[in-house]
Amino acid sequence: MSKHHQETAPLVERVIFNNRLIMLLIFAALTIFFGFQATQVRPVTSFEKMIPLEHPYIVNMIEHQDDMGNLGNSIRIAVAIEDGDIFSTEYMETLKRINDEVFFLPGVDRANLRSLWTPNVRWTEVTEYGFDGGPVASKPAYLTAEDLEELRVNILKSGEIGRLVANNFKSTIIDVPLQESYPNPENQSEQIRLDYGEFSRLLEEKIRSEFQNENPNISIHIIGFAKKVGDLIDGIIKVVMFFGAALLITFVLLLIFTRCLKSSLTTLVCSVIAVIWQLGLLRTMGFGLDPYSILVPFLVFAIGISHGVQIINAMAIEYAGADDAYTAARRAFRSLYIPGIVALVSDGVGFVTLLLIEIEVIRELGIAASVGVGVIILTNLMLLPILMSYIGIGKGAVQRNRDMVSRPQKLWQSISGFAHPAVAPISVVLAILGFAFGIYYGKNVEIGDLDPGAPELRADSRYNLDNDFIIRNYSTSSDVLVVMVSTPPEMCSAYETMEAIDQLEWRMSNLAGVQSAVSLVTVAKQVIMGNNEGSLKWQALSRNQDNLNTAISRAPEGMFNASCSLAPVMIFLNDHKADTLTRATAAVEEFAEEYNTENITFKLAAGNAGIEAATNVVIEKSQLKMLLTVYAVVILMCLVTFRSIRAVLCIIIPLALTSVLANALMAFLGIGVKVATLPVIALGVGIGVDYGIYIYSRLETYLRQGMPLQEAYYETLKTTGKAVTFTGFTLAIGVATWIFSAIKFQADMGILLTFMFLWNMFGALWLLPALARFLLRPDKMRN
Amino acid sequence: MHEPNSWRVSSRRIIMTLGLSGALMGPASLAMAQDVASDDLKPAIISLKASKSLLLDIEQAGQRLVAVGSRGHIVYSDDQGGNWLQAPAPTRQLLTAVDFVDERNGWAVGHDSLILHSSDGGESWAVQYRDPEIDAPDDEGFGFLEKPLMDVWFRDTRTGFAVGAYGLFLRTEDGGQTWEDVSFDIDNPDGFHYNALTVVKDTGLFLVGEMGTMYRSADFGDTWETLTDMPYDGSWFGVAGTGEPGVVLAWGLRGNMFRSTDFGESWEQVELLTPNNGELEATLSGGQLAADGRLIVVGTGGVVVVSDDHGRSFQVTVRPDRVALANAFGLQDGSIVLVGQRGAVKADGKGMSAAGGTALTLPVPTAEEE
Repeated sequence: MSKHHQETAPLVERVIFNNRLIMLLIFAALTIFFGFQATQVRPVTSFEKMIPLEHPYIVNMIEHQDDMGNLGNSIRIAVAIEDGDIFSTEYMETLKRINDEVFFLPGVDRANLRSLWTPNVRWTEVTEYGFDGGPVASKPAYLTAEDLEELRVNILKSGEIGRLVANNFKSTIIDVPLQESYPNPENQSEQIRLDYGEFSRLLEEKIRSEFQNENPNISIHIIGFAKKVGDLIDGIIKVVMFFGAALLITFVLLLIFTRCLKSSLTTLVCSVIAVIWQLGLLRTMGFGLDPYSILVPFLVFAIGISHGVQIINAMAIEYAGADDAYTAARRAFRSLYIPGIVALVSDGVGFVTLLLIEIEVIRELGIAASVGVGVIILTNLMLLPILMSYIGIGKGAVQRNRDMVSRPQKLWQSISGFAHPAVAPISVVLAILGFAFGIYYGKNVEIGDLDPGAPELRADSRYNLDNDFIIRNYSTSSDVLVVMVSTPPEMCSAYETMEAIDQLEWRMSNLAGVQSAVSLVTVAKQVIMGNNEGSLKWQALSRNQDNLNTAISRAPEGMFNASCSLAPVMIFLNDHKADTLTRATAAVEEFAEEYNTENITFKLAAGNAGIEAATNVVIEKSQLKMLLTVYAVVILMCLVTFRSIRAVLCIIIPLALTSVLANALMAFLGIGVKVATLPVIALGVGIGVDYGIYIYSRLETYLRQGMPLQEAYYETLKTTGKAVTFTGFTLAIGVATWIFSAIKFQADMGILLTFMFLWNMFGALWLLPALARFLLRPDKMRN
Repeated sequence: MHEPNSWRVSSRRIIMTLGLSGALMGPASLAMAQDVASDDLKPAIISLKASKSLLLDIEQAGQRLVAVGSRGHIVYSDDQGGNWLQAPAPTRQLLTAVDFVDERNGWAVGHDSLILHSSDGGESWAVQYRDPEIDAPDDEGFGFLEKPLMDVWFRDTRTGFAVGAYGLFLRTEDGGQTWEDVSFDIDNPDGFHYNALTVVKDTGLFLVGEMGTMYRSADFGDTWETLTDMPYDGSWFGVAGTGEPGVVLAWGLRGNMFRSTDFGESWEQVELLTPNNGELEATLSGGQLAADGRLIVVGTGGVVVVSDDHGRSFQVTVRPDRVALANAFGLQDGSIVLVGQRGAVKADGKGMSAAGGTALTLPVPTAEEE
């Protein structure tokens, strides 16, 4: 740590500054290349990347994906009438036209489309002559009161109330199963993959806007995986606008900080180049921008700016003893490249710990962020000083800086009071209280998503309002845990299998948090009753295999697979809170233990709740592992740099306090530990350590020069305090814009990172000197 | 739009005539060795939902109400249907009927020819008889007939009868210690289902089944006569005495209800009109005579029909929840306890429930919770 004070120029410095033009050309060429690559980056939301593919639940789910067919991949469109009810000519006509419009949307599984107007929605009735039945909509049009009365009767007989027809008769659902790929209308032999973004846009355009605008008495509510993904993609695109806002605010802050347009612009340009490189590299490595990794450019930009500011700041100081921009830049580089690289590498290594989590999006986020900070080493620690050696800093700015260093500064003077022997103990006590409070309150943090509906989106988003509408008006839950019952072929309908499934259904139905359970057994019992003239006394499984086979043949698609070797059991839950999920999966596992035989295996899990349960398990398992690793890495980096355990403690304790308090903040705001917030821990610690490193390395320098602690700290603040505070605000601004994202988890990440960046800065300024008072021995450090 | 479903009945007719009756004959003559096949029985799960899920029959044991239904659920209420307790039961099968001969001794029957007995007013139950085997197919490949019991009635604490599908008729002379298959006591060569059995005051027993079949016994179960002149050829799901000697009321599919004043010799249709004067089309499932003389019959689609004049005329109520109902019990205060798809429900004298007062309301929006 003493090398960068020697006047002899290190090798790196000589290589860079003796070949400035060549370096610039290389940078320009690379920027053009990566710039081109960056324009090719596309938003993607791959479902598989968001789930822990290695978790046994997910392995089971993927193994049986084809067996469950389209189960679940459908959208539901509720067509509601505000005034009056569905028994009106106006409503039925509109519904028919919407139905027809939906029918022709690309990707719709037309044969299985269900609505009041499709012939597969039927009523049945038992008569002396057997079954009587027909399509619910038996008339081509509903013009008269008699027609509408017949419709009412048919609906009552159809058993669709609560399913296709709202409990209050003010809306009905069009159930639209989707095909993942469908034949190209122009060329039937070619298969087109369903584009969720495009499909969602068509829904908005051709269904929602079209019919709501035409008739204000009609409102359209759409839910389903495809719609949710479409909304997420929209959200990603909107986030790009925030980048502009972050850019602008940062520029203004830079101007205020440097009072120099030239250096502000250069810093900004270098940071944007870092972003371009990062995006270009992402594309080159074959990644797209998903809702998580889209946040990396913000971080890269902010980190780039913060390191750039250190360079500019150092240059302004070095101007004092330098004749020209070239020498100043060179000296600034020399004084900063080691702490800069240490800080950036520790950021990068912190992000690499994200690879420990078995969820692809988090891994890719880790890779993207590591690549990003790697890029900053080149763009802001190398390119920026080179550029600045040509451009130089405005004279006014240099003069101002000189004044500030020579003149006493009130703010830094009072802050340096934190190192005062009387103040330091108070700070330490406060910190201990902070730890105690944070640990106590942070215990309330829950694993997983806590909000109802689609947790990816905001509670007041269009999608969640629609979801809420459908849950309120229909007997349905949007949280489904699917248990896959696997048997040898042709055994799914065996009495033994069905009986075991029936037991599972009832055991689950009696569990707190479970609303109901549905499977082919539920259907079979109803069909057997129907085959026995509708007598309630026959609502039981038959030991007659022929009866069971007949019964399940009437079950809807997806209730069992083609070879009758798999039957999903759908368990509807109250919510997807971690408690509910754990209780449900534990109950199923216990049941499986008891009921699994040679032939019948009960496997977890599919359905959104199954996926979330698996994700929660992985996250809970990874949380501590990741936290320990990221701290271990950061501690190691500091240890290597400063070769002192006392130094490490001074830097790490404020960081740990931030982590603990961030946890409490999560508990307070009701943000769970989930895919989105887990990386925040690594990002917050990895980046947060920078402040400590910069402050401590300066402090150490002054202590070695023999200054007493408070004075050394004051000098530190005078030289680097401004840069550190500026860094804190820049980083906070970069992430604070996410708080306004339409995507809920981005907003959560924004809140937490903003808090962590600001508090880390505060912690470094306030607690570090107090700890130094107790931990450091200035007399022994003097050389 | 009729999709006649007569294949099932006709094919069974063939089976029964071809020789399955022979299979029934085997055990028929033997007094069953009453080693109950109960090794594979699992006790019913005690569940808060037991009184809220499918219940099929309701009876009185002294002042206590006892109801039976799905998954071996037996629930009882000591406050006239306000609160229910679940009795531990040794089975998870669907129980179809219950009968108490006095305030202590009762029997419940169900699928797998299950017969349970309680000697403590319904608080605990033991298996007396069970036959989960299904008859093997005959040479023609038909068969696999299950043996669910559909109704039970005890003449006194010793002699009782249980009737079921495919002409199954069991009898005990020792309070259920041993049960004898006496199916051939009744002339039913086609093996039609027996669906309900009732006592007609001072007259005898009356038994009804599918395809309009009716049987009567003037000596309360010892000898049986098959009626040939039936008023209707659809299935009967229920039958009840009206409290007057010789008077029988029977009902079944599509709102069909007939009344006989001469123990089944001649019948007269009872007209049931819905509140808006349409003909009642719902299936009528179960019902019984209340202690105060009211007749209460219920059916699918939330139908409750009540008569104050021994079944001559009925007032029809269609509950807004349209829940499928299985049976009903008229209480002394005029109110009714209904049982059906969603368990036991208190209702007023017409069969309506106060809004929000019971489980039988449509799903409540969950928004308030959040």
